[in-house]
Amino acid sequence: METFVQSLVSGVLTGSLYAMIGVGLTVVFGVMRIINLAHGDLVMLGMYGAFWSHVLWRIDPFVSLLLWVPLMFLGGMLIYRFLLRSIIPGGELNTLLYTAGLSLLIANLALFSWTGDYRTIKLPYAITPLRPFGIAVPIPLALAFVLAAAITLALYLFLARTDLGRAIRATSQNAEAAALMGIDIGRVAMVTFGLGSALAGAAGVLLGPSLYLYPTVGEILIAKCFVIVVLGGLGSVAGAIAGGILLGLVESLGAVYVSVAYKDTIGFVIFLLVLLFRPSGLFGVGKS
Amino acid sequence: MRRAAAVAVVAVLMMAPPFLTSNQFLLHLAITVLLWTLLGVSWNLLGGFAGQVSFGHATFFGVGAYATMILYLRLGLAPWYGMALGGAAAVLVSLPIGLICFRLRGPYFSLSTLAVAEIVRLIALNWDALTNGPVGLLITALPPVRLGGRVLDWESKAPFYFIIAALAALAMLATWRLSRARLGAYLLAIREDEDAAESVGIDTVRAKVLTLALSAFFTGLAGGFYGLYFRYVDPDAVFPIALSVEMVFIAVVGGLATVIGPVIGAVFLTTLGELFRERFQVGHLIFYGLFMMLAIRYLPEGIWGGVRRVWAVKR
Repeated sequence: METFVQSLVSGVLTGSLYAMIGVGLTVVFGVMRIINLAHGDLVMLGMYGAFWSHVLWRIDPFVSLLLWVPLMFLGGMLIYRFLLRSIIPGGELNTLLYTAGLSLLIANLALFSWTGDYRTIKLPYAITPLRPFGIAVPIPLALAFVLAAAITLALYLFLARTDLGRAIRATSQNAEAAALMGIDIGRVAMVTFGLGSALAGAAGVLLGPSLYLYPTVGEILIAKCFVIVVLGGLGSVAGAIAGGILLGLVESLGAVYVSVAYKDTIGFVIFLLVLLFRPSGLFGVGKS
Repeated sequence: MRRAAAVAVVAVLMMAPPFLTSNQFLLHLAITVLLWTLLGVSWNLLGGFAGQVSFGHATFFGVGAYATMILYLRLGLAPWYGMALGGAAAVLVSLPIGLICFRLRGPYFSLSTLAVAEIVRLIALNWDALTNGPVGLLITALPPVRLGGRVLDWESKAPFYFIIAALAALAMLATWRLSRARLGAYLLAIREDEDAAESVGIDTVRAKVLTLALSAFFTGLAGGFYGLYFRYVDPDAVFPIALSVEMVFIAVVGGLATVIGPVIGAVFLTTLGELFRERFQVGHLIFYGLFMMLAIRYLPEGIWGGVRRVWAVKR
């Protein structure tokens, strides 16, 4: 029983971060119809951001969010404005290939600049975990969970309540109609891509203290990310949140009750099954 | 007549390098370029002609490599038959994959091939009894082979060069045949508009599955060659996502749906990459990413497509 609760808890904690990465990808897909293969590499940049600001300037990774999130937002807008904007009209496959190129470029520039060595962010408060009710909860992961939940909630409120958020949702539902209602779609797309990048970067900063860092970590993350957004339905924010938590649970329960070696396989098998039999996602709200 | 002359010239050029140099690095570079030529050409059969962008071709490469190695190490089957059987094993694996993934279209097909490739990689990593897990498989010595009264020297690179050159030429020939065959025309129709192709009576699933099998066969042969050339395989070397992605890049940057395109892509990108690796060790795919982005932006038909357009204008 204790193992079950323990893996349930760690599943939800990791899942909240997966959810955040998935939300970034799905928002961008909703508005622009592009699957951004470089999304995982943006997460990687966030992880390295947290690492370097900790090593060079002694900034706590969780405080460094204040620095990296705005920077990633800006970076994302620039990527959209100067790189992606002219590619998108060329069709889905061209954009997919283009972002694959961007992904390889970012990962290999990181490899070139920072070598392929595995790195860790060492925090003094990471050594002894919290033990509420006898369940071990590493402090960095707990902090990451709280912050991820707060950021995701903030994003949700932004999308639900503000004018810009409504414009983003409108564009996501029907870009042409939104344009006819006077929404500047180009601006919406740019802000959305900035948001997606900021979410990826934030997730990276939060994951940094709990994972090994290496420049090609993005390819594993993006693969997980597909599982999440397809589970929840591409384009659906609530779906991505549910999908992220679900994948976290599947992985941690799978590691205990199925096999550690094959825990990652379970996610991909579910992914294939969902794509084949429920292409609009488990909850049937996404766009197939 | 001119075509036959061109083919002859290309064939002579392809066979020339071992006679011109005995520099081991240059020969290794030439072998690497030809290996990637073979891979780019194989991927192009499905990705270029049928427009089905697979991000999972490393599966066929890995299956071919492991099949060749396992057949030799466990059953003592001579690697030359093993390599052919490696191609056959890749074909066998490609059939269920095709039947599953071809139910999806466009980017969804691409994502599903990526998922399948990851599943296969994880199986290879964990099925210790068959694959020896993360430790990998090692061949200490290749069996001697007599050819024309001479024993081939496996310690030198020349025999490997001729083998891979012949395989690459074979794959190019297959591409050329496909481009003139009925199946090739079906594939172009599928690429342009799958529903329209189906409505005029093309069995699109059959056409795609057949092409995937052909593409997997050559990719599997390349995997078998890789195993024998390096005498060592492990899951990280032959099943990674990066390997699938590199094949895509070579074909797209060179020029899709042409015989020459992937060859140019392989010569250009692999040479750049290997020289970069020689000098800086890591990050040799920087140019792959960069040229992919440039190609999609400015040369969507790839380098060869661009060259042909310039020619057409001049005439």
